[in-house]
Amino acid sequence: MPRTSRLPLLSSALLGALVLAGCTPSGGDGGARGGPGGTGEPVAGGTLVYASGDAEPTCLDPHVGGNYPQALVSGQYLESLVSRDSDGQIIPWLAAEWTEAADGLSWTFILREDVTFTDGTPFDAAAVAANVEHVKDPETGSSTGYLAMGKVTAVEAVDARTVTFRLSEPDSALLESLSQPWVAMQSPAGIARGIDENCEAPIGTGPFVVDEWVKQDSITLLRNEEYASPPADAAHTGPAYLESIVWRFIPESATRYAALQSGEVDVIDNAQPDTLVAAAGEDGLTELNAPRPGSSNRLELNSGKAPFDDERVREAFIRSASVDAGIETLFFGTAERSYSPLSSVEALAHAEPDLFGYDLDAAQELLDDAGWTQRDAEGYRVKDGQRLTLEFPVSTNQSIPAEQSLFEQIQASTKEAGFEVRLSLLDLSSWYAVLAANEYDVVSAPYTKVGPDVLRILYSSSGITPAPSGYFANHAQVSIPRLDELLTLASQTSDPDARADYYEEAQTIVLEGFYILPLYDQQNHYLLRDGVRGLRALPTVSTPTLYDTWLAEG
Amino acid sequence: MTPGSPRAEPPAAGRAGRLALRALARIGGGVLVLWAVATLTFFALRLIPGDPAQALLGGPGSQASEEALAAVRAEYGLDQPLLAQYLRQLGRLATGDFGSSYALRTEVAPLLLSQLGGTLLLAVLALAAGWVLALLLASWSTRGGRVGERIGSALEVVGAGLPHFWLATVLILVFSVGLGWLPPISTPGPLGLVLPVVTLAVPLAGFLGQVMRESLLDALEAPFALSARARGESEGGVRRRHALRHAALPGVALSGWAFGYLISGAVVVETIFARPGLGRTLLNAVTERDVPVVVGVVLLVALAYILVTVVTDIAARILDPRVPA
Repeated sequence: MPRTSRLPLLSSALLGALVLAGCTPSGGDGGARGGPGGTGEPVAGGTLVYASGDAEPTCLDPHVGGNYPQALVSGQYLESLVSRDSDGQIIPWLAAEWTEAADGLSWTFILREDVTFTDGTPFDAAAVAANVEHVKDPETGSSTGYLAMGKVTAVEAVDARTVTFRLSEPDSALLESLSQPWVAMQSPAGIARGIDENCEAPIGTGPFVVDEWVKQDSITLLRNEEYASPPADAAHTGPAYLESIVWRFIPESATRYAALQSGEVDVIDNAQPDTLVAAAGEDGLTELNAPRPGSSNRLELNSGKAPFDDERVREAFIRSASVDAGIETLFFGTAERSYSPLSSVEALAHAEPDLFGYDLDAAQELLDDAGWTQRDAEGYRVKDGQRLTLEFPVSTNQSIPAEQSLFEQIQASTKEAGFEVRLSLLDLSSWYAVLAANEYDVVSAPYTKVGPDVLRILYSSSGITPAPSGYFANHAQVSIPRLDELLTLASQTSDPDARADYYEEAQTIVLEGFYILPLYDQQNHYLLRDGVRGLRALPTVSTPTLYDTWLAEG
Repeated sequence: MTPGSPRAEPPAAGRAGRLALRALARIGGGVLVLWAVATLTFFALRLIPGDPAQALLGGPGSQASEEALAAVRAEYGLDQPLLAQYLRQLGRLATGDFGSSYALRTEVAPLLLSQLGGTLLLAVLALAAGWVLALLLASWSTRGGRVGERIGSALEVVGAGLPHFWLATVLILVFSVGLGWLPPISTPGPLGLVLPVVTLAVPLAGFLGQVMRESLLDALEAPFALSARARGESEGGVRRRHALRHAALPGVALSGWAFGYLISGAVVVETIFARPGLGRTLLNAVTERDVPVVVGVVLLVALAYILVTVVTDIAARILDPRVPA
């Protein structure tokens, strides 16, 4: 018995919206349409300057590689088959409805009608097939999208509007995977131009079109006047309000904020804790807090080798790490403590605050029990002539200065129990190399993915063996048969309640085994000038969408 | 040859010929330097940990599949032995082929050319501004007696010691955030250039000012200055017509070094002020282990450095007839 989409109401609402869209006059060419003062009624026109603190993408096609900087900008010109609403429900986007086969081995999507790519190519079943093929082609060099499509064996165009995904095994995360920007839909004709050309200006169905990319400076995006495919939870229909977007790259946090204050830019991302506090005291600036989905930011303790192969030592480390005070003083209340492996955005996140209370005495006792009874001249614990040393490589690309300081505070507080934490700040490439060589005991490596299936990537024992690339995601090196079983069951069931139960038990195992020390959600703060209205983060991977955004006068 | 008697030059043609020979020799040495620079950069980058293939496929939060990595390694020849990769790259460079970027998927040469303009503009303006500042400071402080000298010297030492990132942040806070006069980031107009140029020029002026003031003082006490004064030349005239030329000499000689200093400063300044340019390109490329781009930038900078050194060397000889050609 095929299971239909759980969102018939939304689907019909969408159809209604589509009909309306047909009747709505397209946005004016820069003329103000709003009421006086520009407070209530959206105004069409104008250029918004967005300043990103993330790295400049090396390719604007998020199929290639697949990282967050690409997701940030590509959401303005590429769209996915489905999206996710703020309640965590999957909602229609380029696909209007879908059904899962009874055996879970195939999914059939009915595509939205009358959508064309900005090069005039129709968006149809063949285009979907071409996109999945592009993601799965090793020549593309896709990593994130490739992983998301891991269980997809074939994509068949049944007719122009009907497309069937065939799977190697049931995948309860398929819709969540497809909602991600790394598998967004591009014009097959655009893809056929080859990677080099497609990287410069991918062609999608989105509300904006890539006009020009000046390397190390900016990307200019122009409004797609024919646009007609907003996601089901968008605030309006028809073309975007903004006439154009200038997408700039300003790596330095202080400069980014100065540019916002002086009005050179309208929106900044990666606002740091100190910036957020400064902005809170300033008129004319608004904050948008949109934690990323997937995992929380957490320390992973490498249980695959000594000393953390002993659960008592892991617990002692966690008990002696003073986290709350550090978060308070370093993040000034902009980050909330997490007690879960999953982001608070995830509906299935399970938290156990009681496990993570600071208790130095308990930590000392645990270490004594574990045989770390001696102390050397510097106060570090010693066993069999070996000091209790923990290697903690820190990626400066991923850990912001406030987080690096938090790690130093953890280093100081765990020293009281006798741990020697050796922090080393590394650039991304060196950091990967150290992880691949298994030369770490503690590491922070947040993972962004839509849905709780990220647990399978992070804690399945198959994620311990590094790929030849050296990359692996199970940094805690958790290897528990029951956990593997739960994660497999969860990814294969089509019963939402059973899925929730499996994931809860899985999270309990990870938390109660003291494999991780959760810190906070993956921080993702935006600051905007007051004149910027209608900006929201997509509830998929929390990237901003400028489709509903408009500029109020003054 | 008496110092300060410009008539005592050897015949012009012979001197010009020797200058040309000298330039040729310097350029020959320059080629050797370029080879050494390319070699050092290549091996230095490959000896630090980090797999270029991994770095260019994976950002934070993504993981490269085996197939994708194999494809990338084969595409860029990263599966070859290191020596083979080195020789291949050297062979390419010898024919003027800079190869293509690992990360940006474009040819290195056009990429660098597109970024060169911004950095050159910044460096040239900063050099000019540094010169003007240093000359002003040197001539002002040598007029002010011992107190002036002390103040001038203190300003130069402090200026020369200012780190670029600190100066840049202070300038942004004062002139962009506080006063709102100047943009903190690059703009289509010239306004966006002011803060980056000042950031680079102030420490440079500190260095240049120190040497210029010393030689200006020496020149003002030299016999030729004395005889000029004896001829009834005004103090301003002595300075303008005689002493400044001498004061400029070490400044000119330092300009070659200054150019290198400015390019390294550009890495910081371009990042802070979000300007396109070679400095920012270099920083990104090092992070990504993008060897062809790093080698390309370093070679280009070394080439520019060599050219500037040759030019300043020849210029110093033209300005100062005492130096043998």
